[in-house]
Amino acid sequence: MTDVMDTLANLQPGSPLFELRRERPDLVKHLQGSDDAIFTPTDDGGLTSAERSAAALRIATLLRDGMLSAHYRARLAALDPDGTLARTVEGGARITEGRWDAILAHVDLVTRGPGIAERKDIDNLLAAGLSSHAVVSLSQLIGYVNFQARVLAGLRMLKGEA
Amino acid sequence: MRDFTQGELDWRPWVAPLDLNTASERQLIALKVTPSNRAVGAYSLVLAHDPEALGERSPLYNAVMFGTKGLPRADRELGAVAASRLNGCAYCAAVHALRFTQLTKEPEVMVRIQRDGAGAALEPRRRAILEYAAKLTRDPAAIGPADAAPLRAQGLTDLEILDLTHAVAMFAWANRLMQTLGEPTAPVREGNPL
Repeated sequence: MTDVMDTLANLQPGSPLFELRRERPDLVKHLQGSDDAIFTPTDDGGLTSAERSAAALRIATLLRDGMLSAHYRARLAALDPDGTLARTVEGGARITEGRWDAILAHVDLVTRGPGIAERKDIDNLLAAGLSSHAVVSLSQLIGYVNFQARVLAGLRMLKGEA
Repeated sequence: MRDFTQGELDWRPWVAPLDLNTASERQLIALKVTPSNRAVGAYSLVLAHDPEALGERSPLYNAVMFGTKGLPRADRELGAVAASRLNGCAYCAAVHALRFTQLTKEPEVMVRIQRDGAGAALEPRRRAILEYAAKLTRDPAAIGPADAAPLRAQGLTDLEILDLTHAVAMFAWANRLMQTLGEPTAPVREGNPL
């Protein structure tokens, strides 16, 4: 059965890299499990599925990963049919709502410069109305997509693709 | 960045940790799969605010860092330290420098990485690991097929390269959590069970 990483790296069942990944069955299982827990949780803590996909699209864009961006753009389109969030992610119209701007700013900060994060950055998110659950979910999401993009880079390298 | 070769640091959260007395069933289940450790205590209690993510991430982390066969554990720890040094996560670097040194009895390697980062002078196999870890950490979009060659030249198999990739990538995740949900504080006192 193919999972999200197989799809993103275009690995066919039975191919060498597909099989190589299966030398680590727990890793495969919990990577897909992490993807599910982050993008389609049972309890989202107030951070909506659309916001999650939009945040992930922003990270993929910052990391200049075309395939990963297309993946999250497609997920977002299903959840954000008017394209409102998509436009803010790709540098267009700003939503005047402080909450989404605070989320997007945090995504940029943590992706590009986690070392300069401060307590006030978390205070800003809480003040913007995110629950502790939503703050942690957002943090796990940013971490996961940064992890995912690097695993993908390694798989492409092993496959012999740029 | 704090010197990470002087022993473990403590960690102070910026999100109030979960109160175990009011934790939900789901949160308690998620917490059981984490390694029990005084310093990880506060960290796990913060992550437990999202128990679904925690419940998957903990076993994923374990599979990445402790998987049998493939890349030796010391090399996974080396990848972790390299990523942490370049991301500036003193807490992660300290923990994993200690693990590397416990496994190899070569603290000098950690001192060089602490002092010189990606430019640290190491023997060829570790140089190749460090350079890949640095490039993958800083700019994954720049990784291409040619980056496998130095690792293969040092004898790493594709499974070992995949293991290294997972370890370095996992610290892109771990560092971000540690650096943005809290901060490192003064070293733990002597007598700590760690």
